[in-house]
Amino acid sequence: MDTEPALFSILRQGQVLVASVHTALDDSQLLRLQRDLVGRVGTDRARGIIIDVAALDVLDSFGSKTLRDIAEIARLRGALTVIVGIQPDVAQAMVELGIGTGAVATALDLEEGMAHLAAALGPAWTP
Amino acid sequence: MPGLTYDAGVGAAVVDSGADGPPEPSAAELHLLVTRVVRARVGNHPAAEDLVQETVARVLAASDRIDGGIEAYAVTTARNVIATMWRDEARFQRYQPRMVDLDEPDAPDMGVLAGEDQVAVRRALESLSVQERSLLLAHEVDGTSLATLAAREGTTAGALGAQLRRLRARMRAEYLIVASHREPPTERCRPVLVAVALRDQRRWREAGVDDHLAGCDFCADVAGPLLESSQQDSGRVAIDVAKDHDVVEARVAVRRLAADLGFDRSDVTLVATVVSEIARNIVKFAERGRMTFEPARSRPGIRIVARDRGPGIEDVELAMRDGYTTYGGLGLGLPGARRIMDEFDIESVPGRGTTITMTRYRKDTR
Repeated sequence: MDTEPALFSILRQGQVLVASVHTALDDSQLLRLQRDLVGRVGTDRARGIIIDVAALDVLDSFGSKTLRDIAEIARLRGALTVIVGIQPDVAQAMVELGIGTGAVATALDLEEGMAHLAAALGPAWTP
Repeated sequence: MPGLTYDAGVGAAVVDSGADGPPEPSAAELHLLVTRVVRARVGNHPAAEDLVQETVARVLAASDRIDGGIEAYAVTTARNVIATMWRDEARFQRYQPRMVDLDEPDAPDMGVLAGEDQVAVRRALESLSVQERSLLLAHEVDGTSLATLAAREGTTAGALGAQLRRLRARMRAEYLIVASHREPPTERCRPVLVAVALRDQRRWREAGVDDHLAGCDFCADVAGPLLESSQQDSGRVAIDVAKDHDVVEARVAVRRLAADLGFDRSDVTLVATVVSEIARNIVKFAERGRMTFEPARSRPGIRIVARDRGPGIEDVELAMRDGYTTYGGLGLGLPGARRIMDEFDIESVPGRGTTITMTRYRKDTR
């Protein structure tokens, strides 16, 4: 398992993990993203996670469920998740199909995502 | 006649000069003379010494025919020998490119492959009746025209052309079966493969090709080369769905076709999302299936067919209800697809498999 190169990268900036998806992911790669991110929250003592999904071709029920799971698991471990970069056509398809990201915070782009985290984490936040 | 002998060992010769006339040069003198002439013309050419030897040998061989003036004869001979060498070298250089062998040598396995190929073609030919075989060979190998053959058989050129087309399709199918080294597992395999080889939409439907290919590993493998060529004709794309990654493949394929058909960006994504849901259902529940995407027939649009031979759906009505899920998903796959698509049809027989047929028309024509 995991012998293939990851189609996403996870970088750390201060207490925030930034996960960028590079291309369309299949289900096992989405699960790998979930596993890697959840692991990194502990090892990097992260307080926030930003997931950039701009390169995802679709967000179907499995993709959005995985994102919600990541956010919920991270929340239980004390980190806040923001999803950024959902494309307009992807968002429209999600609405028409009734797929949602639930209570997970979203932001337009990386910059907005960082601002959101800064506001939510308050004075404890160190970039 | 003065005799002249040449002692190559010591470069000396005994000259039996006649009593009168100018004294003939000794062989050593002759050698020196020729060397001077040759060196003057070719300098330090590696062949210089050979040229000298060649000239001296010729002069000595002819010495009994030369009546005086042996120096002049030697000089002329030397010149001729040198000219011959230049000419040979020039010719060699001119034709040197011909020495390069541009043909790749046959790979060691070529013979074996060609042999297998021959066996497959022969077996394929043997599957036809004698009459069919002679007809095919007369047209394809001997080049007899359709009109001539039709006159001989007492039929029309068109009918004969159609028959030849069917024969060629049978040959293609039979060839692939033989080349696979396996026997078709069911009786339907052969007709299905012939229908695929024929590239005829009507036969394709009549033989239930898509339905069969979704469940038959043998045919899916064997028909591969035939499908590739036939799909390019009709804008039809088929994706075998069995692994996680095939879901992405299906998405990419349907995206490309929808974009080609003129769907706008948000519709392309919508269709791709539905395809993603359906493809995932196949991977999860049926393990293996087949999705085909093709242009809709009546209006600009895309027709999507998903077939599998999985366990089927026990209660289709229940599965179609929003939020119903058996695996912890969102339960949006089927109901979402029905809501989005302009036409949606699901047939499922428990234990036999599921077929979903759906069409979405382009916004501007809906």
